[in-house]
Amino acid sequence: MAEITIGPIEGPAPLPRTTGPARPGKSFGETLSESIAQVNELQKAAETAAQDLAVGKSKDIAQTLIAIEKASISFQLMMQVRNRMLEAYQEVMRMQV
Amino acid sequence: MDLFSAMDVSGSALSAQRTRMNVIADNLANAETSRTPAGGPYRKKEVVFGAQPVPAFAELLRGIKAARGGVEVLAVVESPAPPRRVHRPGHPDADAQGYVALPDINPVIEMVDMIAATRAYEANVTAIQAAKAMAQKALEIGR
Repeated sequence: MAEITIGPIEGPAPLPRTTGPARPGKSFGETLSESIAQVNELQKAAETAAQDLAVGKSKDIAQTLIAIEKASISFQLMMQVRNRMLEAYQEVMRMQV
Repeated sequence: MDLFSAMDVSGSALSAQRTRMNVIADNLANAETSRTPAGGPYRKKEVVFGAQPVPAFAELLRGIKAARGGVEVLAVVESPAPPRRVHRPGHPDADAQGYVALPDINPVIEMVDMIAATRAYEANVTAIQAAKAMAQKALEIGR
């Protein structure tokens, strides 16, 4: 006669936490600093392109100007995000307690 | 940002049109050239444009490369048209009958090509400006 082993009854599986980050991902701060690093990279690329054009290493005016425009637009976007965040902070600081 | 890839595509077109302009200038400059290092008269050159290869699906999926496209100069080919023969008996490159082989280049056609290259360049610059204007308009949302 085969023995049937009955395992102990386990408690309920832990429910997924509802607080904290919904899924393991990057925090807002990490995303922000990554974006700022990207803006920095574009600024560096624009500087290198301008330098290469001035020294004569590159003769492509159009590509240089495109690099500069990219840097400019991404910097403007970063400034807009920064302005929004600062406004939100000031809004909180003005809160009546 | 996606608008940047539009700028990259137009930038590749600017480079291609600049190469085309260089080739046209070369054709105009050598319209009367009867001697080349390769031997024989100069031959009209033409650029061959090709669409930039779209990256493989797996690379797109993993985000290594973006699907952006663009244009590139695949090759600068020499025209197979036979040279025109001009009667110039005193010319050092004249043959026994006094004919000189000159490249089959029509300056009028070259000028028309030049206008087309200039207009195409302008169109691509306008596309870049439009992409830039769109990005700046989007930034105005927050203002």
